[in-house]
Amino acid sequence: MKLYFYCLLGAAIPVFAQRPDSANTPNPNPFAGNSQAIADGREVYNDVCTACHGPDGAAGDKAIALGAPARRYSRNTDREIFDAITKGITGTMMPPNRVSENDAWKIAAYIRGLRGTAKDTPARGNVAHGEEIFWNKGQCGTCHMIRGKGGLVGPDLSDVAAIRKYSSLVAALTKAQHRVATDGGTHDSALTPLASYQPVRITMADGKVLQGVLRNEDSFSLQVFGSDNQLYLLDRDKLKEVYYVPTSLMPTDYDKRLTKEEFQDLMAFLTRQALPVPRRP
Amino acid sequence: MISSVRRALLAASFSCAFACSAGAQNYQDLIKPNPNNWLHYNGTYDSQRHSLLKQIDTGNVANLKAEWIYHMTGAVDLEAVPIVVDGVMYISQWNRVEALDARTGRLIWQYMRQPFTKGWQRGVAVYNGKIYIGTVDSALIALDAKTGNLIWESKTVGEGYRMLGAAPLIAKGKVIVGGSGKSGGWVQAFDAETGKYAWTWNVIPKPGEKGVETWEGDSWKLGGGPIWATGSFDAELNILYWGTGQPGVDFVGEIRPGDNLFTDCIVALDIDTGKMKWYFQNTPHDVHDWDSEETPVLIDAMFKGQMRKLLIQANRNGYFYILDRTNGKFLQGTPFVSQLTWSRGLTEDGRPIVVAGSAPTVEGSRVCPSTAGATNWPSPAYSPDTKLFYLVVQEGCGITYKASNNFTAGQSGSGTGYIESPIDQENWQLHVRALDLTGKTVWSYKQVSSKHYGPGLLSTAGGVLFAGEQQGQFTALDSTTGKVLWHFNTGGLITAGPSTYSVNGKQYVVIGSYANYIAFALPDAVIRDAAAK
Repeated sequence: MKLYFYCLLGAAIPVFAQRPDSANTPNPNPFAGNSQAIADGREVYNDVCTACHGPDGAAGDKAIALGAPARRYSRNTDREIFDAITKGITGTMMPPNRVSENDAWKIAAYIRGLRGTAKDTPARGNVAHGEEIFWNKGQCGTCHMIRGKGGLVGPDLSDVAAIRKYSSLVAALTKAQHRVATDGGTHDSALTPLASYQPVRITMADGKVLQGVLRNEDSFSLQVFGSDNQLYLLDRDKLKEVYYVPTSLMPTDYDKRLTKEEFQDLMAFLTRQALPVPRRP
Repeated sequence: MISSVRRALLAASFSCAFACSAGAQNYQDLIKPNPNNWLHYNGTYDSQRHSLLKQIDTGNVANLKAEWIYHMTGAVDLEAVPIVVDGVMYISQWNRVEALDARTGRLIWQYMRQPFTKGWQRGVAVYNGKIYIGTVDSALIALDAKTGNLIWESKTVGEGYRMLGAAPLIAKGKVIVGGSGKSGGWVQAFDAETGKYAWTWNVIPKPGEKGVETWEGDSWKLGGGPIWATGSFDAELNILYWGTGQPGVDFVGEIRPGDNLFTDCIVALDIDTGKMKWYFQNTPHDVHDWDSEETPVLIDAMFKGQMRKLLIQANRNGYFYILDRTNGKFLQGTPFVSQLTWSRGLTEDGRPIVVAGSAPTVEGSRVCPSTAGATNWPSPAYSPDTKLFYLVVQEGCGITYKASNNFTAGQSGSGTGYIESPIDQENWQLHVRALDLTGKTVWSYKQVSSKHYGPGLLSTAGGVLFAGEQQGQFTALDSTTGKVLWHFNTGGLITAGPSTYSVNGKQYVVIGSYANYIAFALPDAVIRDAAAK
């Protein structure tokens, strides 16, 4: 049986949590946190705003990306975004838009979500059917685990909607060279496990070949999860070769192997995979 | 029977017990430090980070063992270089200094000052029985080296809000610190005995001052040029050498046409007056945040057949510069990274020939090296034995964004951000690299998994180059070949520079790793063998 590595879905990215407008001001957006309204907001946004801004928060021909990583925005609250939509921005090409007040708030909630993670912009679709796709036709569960069920060689996806953006999930499922770029504005302050799930092919001193994914490495040792689901602890100077397989083993043709509806339902399922945030005691 | 070596150790131990001088280093000691001590952030005024100690050498470094670990409770991201004076070590974080027994890592005293905080801070300076440190709220303080008691506190001059994180430099009875305020970066001097303010040199010129013509209109008001690293000093020439930061609104160039002096410069300042003697601008009109904070290393060496007083600097923009430090004349500039896309080379004056289209855009512009820099503040080293310059290099590229095409001078912030290039061949990767004075790479050592920004280096007369790896390994390399001779997993992220010292005849090497300082030395049997040799 061919073993797939569904590797990139869980790689770490910076997390921008959705925040209230300020510590003392309640969020005036009636749709804040309403997943259905945010999904509606995405539809309206992609219908109305993409003449200048790009689809799904990417940069467009005439205007900036509204959900770019590593970017600081001068309008961050729902109110500020709502005002920009309804009143335009003086001194720029941004005009006032004639969308309804409700739609403007929904777009604002969606744009806030773009700067958050997938759970802030859950996809519309049949969640139950998406789950069925995940475990069956999509074979996602062969490598990925959700709440203790599933495969071992890919990242756990139980909280994926809280750590990945919507666009990043789509890219992981459909773009061959997809990977998560480091945010240059920060640098590590602690040692963390490798998040790349880099596939490797290692030739041992005795000529045996080990295939698997890297869990960690430094200049002297490697920690590899073999395709036999075993953990290998290796010394670099005792290996003949460490070959870093240049492309991820994660299939990226889900837009072709699934129908449009199936893909949408899978996204509806994935964008709701977030663990509850513990309350402060 | 007590061996001769043991007797020597005991004698040294007793002498220290009676005469540990607790930081009583005078100016002459600072000019020519006893190699048993580590008195400056970068070891010596010339910032070569080359120790004359050679008990640990290429033949025995494989025996190096951890002697002690000191956990600095509550600390994170240790970046301070331990200063060591006669067996006492001084370490620091923000608003906090601790003195340790350098033989054992046992705490002697602790000084803490409000506001309590934590995070990177790069060390203290020592002079005449006092320990000096800049604070998170722009003050400069002097502590009694024996007790940690406060002797004086001075506030830096101007509307400074920038934290004073760099280790001060002490010379000719003055404490020299760098910082930044709303109107730009500065270097200031204070009397080391009293804390009395002496002079300021401002990075950003005002109307009527030299250099303001390089800021179109009143764009000089944008400021910039923050100073947050420690400079170097030539006692004979009476000159301080310091690197300056990037112009205000980092990534947006169109609102400040001109070269934007004296940002991204290496400057030479008269230590008595603070007057600028010369400057060399590495990156005129910088739009990538390639500041020139990288250590200016002072060497006297043969260059193209002539003995010269040189200043060498590997700059964040990807070029390795060699200047005449007596007058700032540009002598040579060569790339030290494999990918350098923003410039086609340097003119004979050292000015970069900029490639059109390399500036940040709203959509994102690819540039190599990235804003993270081809190198950065972690200190390089130079060995007069091998005549090689050692540095931490980051290969790779970035995508740089600017926030808007309509950025106005009144808007706050840096105007954008940057990310690592998503292309595999352009990912960030740290190397330790040895360059000769022609700019040629003699050897290169890849630090697997390490990037952005990595720790500093230490060269020793034992032929060993110590290099922390960002991923926690503390590694000894052969200075001549780059071959790995020893390594130790410290268990924490390393972003500090190492130092070395000797107490009672035993050489130690010490490194900060996340929240711990770890000191290494050879086993006594190996030391005896070394002594016998």
